[in-house]
Amino acid sequence: MNASYSSPVRLSALSAVMAGFILAASPAQADRIEKHFAVQSKPKITVRNSTGRIQVKAWTKKEVLVSWTSKSGKTAVETEQAGNRVEVAAMVNEDAASADDSKTDFEITVPVESELSVRTDSGNVTVDSVHGDMTFDTVGANLQLSDVDGYMVVKTIDGSLLCTRCSGKLEANSISGNVQMIEPTLDSVRVQTSSGNIFFDGSFLSRGIYIMKNFSGTIEVHFSSSDSFDVNASSLKGDVINQATFKPDTHGTPHPASKWGHSLFGTMNEGHAKVELTSFSGTIKILKRD
Amino acid sequence: MTMQCEQFEQILEQQDEGALPKPALAHLETCEACRALSSDFSAIHDMALELGAEDVAPPERVWIALRNQLEAERLIHEPQDALQSASPAGPGWWAVFQRPAVAGAFLGLVLAAASAVGYLSNAPQSAVHYAQLTPQQGTSSVPAADSVFKEEVLTVGSDSIPGLQRQDIAVTDSIRRNLQIVDNFIAICEKSVREQPDNQMAKEYLYGAYQQKAELLATAMNRSMTGGLQ
Repeated sequence: MNASYSSPVRLSALSAVMAGFILAASPAQADRIEKHFAVQSKPKITVRNSTGRIQVKAWTKKEVLVSWTSKSGKTAVETEQAGNRVEVAAMVNEDAASADDSKTDFEITVPVESELSVRTDSGNVTVDSVHGDMTFDTVGANLQLSDVDGYMVVKTIDGSLLCTRCSGKLEANSISGNVQMIEPTLDSVRVQTSSGNIFFDGSFLSRGIYIMKNFSGTIEVHFSSSDSFDVNASSLKGDVINQATFKPDTHGTPHPASKWGHSLFGTMNEGHAKVELTSFSGTIKILKRD
Repeated sequence: MTMQCEQFEQILEQQDEGALPKPALAHLETCEACRALSSDFSAIHDMALELGAEDVAPPERVWIALRNQLEAERLIHEPQDALQSASPAGPGWWAVFQRPAVAGAFLGLVLAAASAVGYLSNAPQSAVHYAQLTPQQGTSSVPAADSVFKEEVLTVGSDSIPGLQRQDIAVTDSIRRNLQIVDNFIAICEKSVREQPDNQMAKEYLYGAYQQKAELLATAMNRSMTGGLQ
């Protein structure tokens, strides 16, 4: 009787002790470190990381909050502030042997009106609701921009770019990364990727210039019947698939038919925007939005 | 205080235009290696400015030195006997390229040379210049910038970038994979241009692929030389 009563208690106690041993034997929980930087309007924040997640979001405070975790403890983060300039850099210790050792995850909160410069090798980068000029330089890191507004320059080797409800101007250059622009209100787009795909689903703004170029991927743009743009689409070895009804371009320079590849020139409505789509061997699709 | 070579290199890196400061000029008078370095940079810089010139021909010793040092670093797969037999570069010439800023500047100049190739080929006499893309047969002892670019830079493989192997394996794989992609594009574009010499679009893609390779190498060297992002 006594034994049957005490057994669950002893088991619980034993479990607690075992759990303690297990916790003690496992790697130390990564410490989260925070730093606060008081800034005035429109600070410039520079982030340097080797690998790890970088999340940037906006708030209404005049303050930059930088927090980070390094699971391995083999990275050190250096920060610097000079007025409205804040720099954050993850430095990898010499004894870091693997990518995991070099990993530092950042969460950064900035005023809505801020400039950003981010350089990282791998790990995802997300930026949400920040308004200001931004540059991103990555090797394999994927980049997600949401509700941002400004002049955005992206350079990556095989990272992808997903730009959702982006406004302003976008320059993106990649070798094998995909570039997607969803519901953009961009008035200048210059996107180039070699083997990646390019996807544009949004309005072509009046006076906007949209240049999309790749080597072998697919370029797909969606238009609505109220859009007004000139189009120049050429694929040297691939196809041009078009669902639009264009009239001949009456206000641009004449386009002699190329004897190489497939080309399409024309104007939709008044041709207020300019759209250039170029591929070497990829397929270009100009599709009507549902 | 007497200036050291390292300080001189830093000044040279930062010097855009105009005369060097007096201490640097004084150092030049006493240091043969830095004189040669300064001369080489001037030559490459001048060449880059002459984008519209008919013949882009920097001093022969610039290319010889470059080739020798690329060979020494095993950055060239197949050394060419003709240039190997030429006079070697001064010792330590390549060492300056180990400095990321100088390497970046150099690759920038190489890009300028590549742009010159594109510029020349876009000129009305493009057919004549395009012929330079294929190996020339001894019309001059001085290789044209475009052929040197093609022979030297385009043959660099990812396995030969110093220090790249030490990096994050995902980064190394990414750079290696993308170098293969760009090399493949270059091969496809070159084939197209050979088959259709008057196809302007194919030429533009070819020069774009050259530029992309040079930029990729610059990124790889920058990442490797600086130990990643530090």
